[in-house]
Amino acid sequence: MENNTFNQEILEKLKEIKPTARWHFLLRNYAIWISGVLALLIGAAAVSVIIYLSSYNDFAIRQDINKSLGEMLLLTLPYFWLIFLSLFVFIVYYNLKHTKTGYRYSIGLIITGAVVASIFLGAIFFAAGLGQELDEVLGQNAPLYCAMMNPHVDFWSNPEEGRLIGMIASQVDGESFILIDKNRHEWVIQVKGNDFIAMPLSGGPLRLIGQKKSDDIFEVFKILPMMPGHGFFKKFKAAPHSPVPGQFMGGARIIESTELNF
Amino acid sequence: MIENIDFEQKTDEELVSIVLENQSIFSHLVNRYKDKLLRYIRRISNVGLEEAEDILQNIFIKVYLNLNDFDNSLKFSSWVYRIAHNEVIDNYRKRKARPQLLDIDIKDSQIKELAGDTNILEEFVRQELKQEISVAISQIDIKYQEIIILKYIEEKDYQEISDIIKKPLGTVASRMNKAKAELKKVLLVSRKL
Repeated sequence: MENNTFNQEILEKLKEIKPTARWHFLLRNYAIWISGVLALLIGAAAVSVIIYLSSYNDFAIRQDINKSLGEMLLLTLPYFWLIFLSLFVFIVYYNLKHTKTGYRYSIGLIITGAVVASIFLGAIFFAAGLGQELDEVLGQNAPLYCAMMNPHVDFWSNPEEGRLIGMIASQVDGESFILIDKNRHEWVIQVKGNDFIAMPLSGGPLRLIGQKKSDDIFEVFKILPMMPGHGFFKKFKAAPHSPVPGQFMGGARIIESTELNF
Repeated sequence: MIENIDFEQKTDEELVSIVLENQSIFSHLVNRYKDKLLRYIRRISNVGLEEAEDILQNIFIKVYLNLNDFDNSLKFSSWVYRIAHNEVIDNYRKRKARPQLLDIDIKDSQIKELAGDTNILEEFVRQELKQEISVAISQIDIKYQEIIILKYIEEKDYQEISDIIKKPLGTVASRMNKAKAELKKVLLVSRKL
C-alpha cells in the first residue's frame, strides 16, 4: 500500500464529509437513558399493582373455599402484570446494554439489578397508593380488565364453587339483598349463619362465600370486602341504601374492613 | 500554531481533539493505525489486499465521522479496533462466505504462547505448527478466531478485547477458554489425519 496515495485518498473523501455533531450522540445517549428510566418506572408501577392485588389474596380463608394454597396461588397470580413487568425489565436491559458502557455488565447482573430496582420502586409506589389508583383507572376504562388484569374477579365469580363477587344494588332488609355480579346478573343474596359480615366503608365490591341455591339465589355464610376491582364495579349502579359499618345484618354485625384480621 | 506542533509526540486522544479543529491532521492517525488495522483485517477475514484496503478506508471514514462519539474512558486504539471489528463482521455477513485460510503472520513468540496455552508445544515442530495453527484458526468459528487473534496476535489484554467486541470480561474469558479448546481439538484432529 502506497502510504501517500492511501492517505491522500482518505483525505480527499473526508473533504466531502464532517464528523457527526456531538449533540447527535448526546441526544442518542439521553434517549437511551430516558427510555430506560421510563421502562423502569413503568415496571415499578406494574410491581405496585402486583403488590396491591396480592395483598387481597387472603390465603387464610382458603379452607372456607376449599382450595389449597397452590391452587389459590395459581388461580389468582396476576399473570398479566408479571408478563408486563418482564417486558419492561427486558426493555431496561436492552437500553442499558445500548449505553456506552452497558456491554461491560452481564445479562444476569443487569436483569437482577432491574428486577430489584423495580421491586424497590414498586414498593414505594404501592405505599403511595399508585397500585390502587392504577387498578381503579384500568377497572373503569380498560377492556378485558377481568380477563387479564385482575384475576381475582374471575376467581371470585364462581357461584358453583361457592364464590361470588359483586356490588350491592338494593336496600338491605336484614335478611337478604340484591347483588349484581360482573356479568350484571342480579342475585338475591340470603344471609345465613353467625359468621362475621364485613363491609368496606368505601362501598366497593364484596366477595361472598356461600352456596348457590338456584340460578338467582345465593346463600351467603361470609362476606369480605374487595378493593381490587373497585373501579370496575363502580360502573355498576350504586346501592340506594348501602349498609354502613356497625349495622347488623342477618344476625351478624357489619364490620369495617380494618377490623378484619386475615 | 498547528505548524509548530510535533504530532508524533501527541497521544491518540490529543490528536483526536486537534483533528476536530483541523481535518488534515487526521492523516497522523491514519499513519499510526493503517498498517496495524490492515494486518488485523486480513487476519480475521480472507479478503484480498484490495478488498482489505477498501474495508480499511471505510473504517477510517467511520472513525472520522464518529470522532465526536469517542469516549475518553476508552483507549483510542480499542475504539478504533471496535470500529474495525464491526466493519469486518459487516463485510463477513455481506459476503456470507466462511474464510478458508487466513493470512496470519504469526511471530515465534506468539506461537510459543498460544501453543503453551493449548498444551501442544511438545507435539509439534515449530515451523510446521505455525502453518497448522494458521489453518486451524481458519477452521474454528469466527467469534473464536477473532478472540484468539486479538489476544495472541494483536496482543490485546482482556479489558481491551472486552471494549473491542463489546462483551463483559467474564464472557471474554469464557469465550477465550472455548476458543482454545476448539483450536486444540482442530489441531489434534489434523495431526491424526
